[in-house]
Amino acid sequence: MTTATLQQGEEGLARFIRGDATAFADIVQEHQSMVFSIAYHFLHDRGRAEEVAQDVFLRLYRHLASIKSGNHLVFWLRKVTCRRSIDEVRKLPKAPPASLEDVAEPAAESPDLDPLLSRGLRRMVASLSEDARAVVVLRYQEELDLADIAEILDIPVNTVKSRLQRSLEILREKFHRWAGDVQR
Amino acid sequence: MNPFEEKLRNALRREAAPEGFAEKVLARTRGLPQPGEKAWRQFGAFLALPVLRGALAAAAVCLVIAAGVVHHERQERWRREGEMARVQVRQALRIASVKLNVARKKVREINRETPPSRLKCAVHERPQGVIT
Repeated sequence: MTTATLQQGEEGLARFIRGDATAFADIVQEHQSMVFSIAYHFLHDRGRAEEVAQDVFLRLYRHLASIKSGNHLVFWLRKVTCRRSIDEVRKLPKAPPASLEDVAEPAAESPDLDPLLSRGLRRMVASLSEDARAVVVLRYQEELDLADIAEILDIPVNTVKSRLQRSLEILREKFHRWAGDVQR
Repeated sequence: MNPFEEKLRNALRREAAPEGFAEKVLARTRGLPQPGEKAWRQFGAFLALPVLRGALAAAAVCLVIAAGVVHHERQERWRREGEMARVQVRQALRIASVKLNVARKKVREINRETPPSRLKCAVHERPQGVIT
């Protein structure tokens, strides 16, 4: 999060408190990509991710008076989006664990081709447990450090560390098997 | 960050929200009360109710009457206490007066019973010029 973005967030909040009706629109514009992406990487479904993201912004609208700063706003959005996404995942009937066949779509000749690689990795992330997914998304999408992730998810730093290590092991293993399949 | 983590970071980079996302959110916020102003608006609307205005006026009148009654009661109590004190002082003065009368009477009786020679002696014992 850059200083300019934070300043814009602060400004938007101040304008909203002064009663400027357009301020909330600016806040949504500013943070929609972050909120939508967290939900999308969690759910791997654009429609459901959009629904979750809209719901998060509606909650923000109701709670905006209690938001104290630009930093607090971003923290709040990340936290609520993660919680809402976890709830959304848990609401659905348990899907069978994604097999490598589901994950891989080796239509291209080289696994190093970025879009294919990215799509495969995103699917692998979506196949992790909800708790592990939250840690991975916050770590690699939002590039947060372990302490920040712990604060957002309300869990100890050591738990974040162990979840991240375990998730990386799983993802690496799946990735190598998938890459091998693609190369064959 | 190792190469695999770098790949993961690239795969999980932020995506643009769907077209018209912000408009949809804003459309859903329309009709919702603006946060922060909500409490003040509700309080203002509550105060503007005619029933509440009547009740407030009645409460104010009751308060004024109650304050008047309390004030009157206090004045009355002070007046009663003053009256009682006046009666007690009068009675004390009356008793004192009776006692003084009795004492004066006794002094007169003593003076009448005592012979003049004894009275003279008593007078000589006093310094001259006191009794004329």
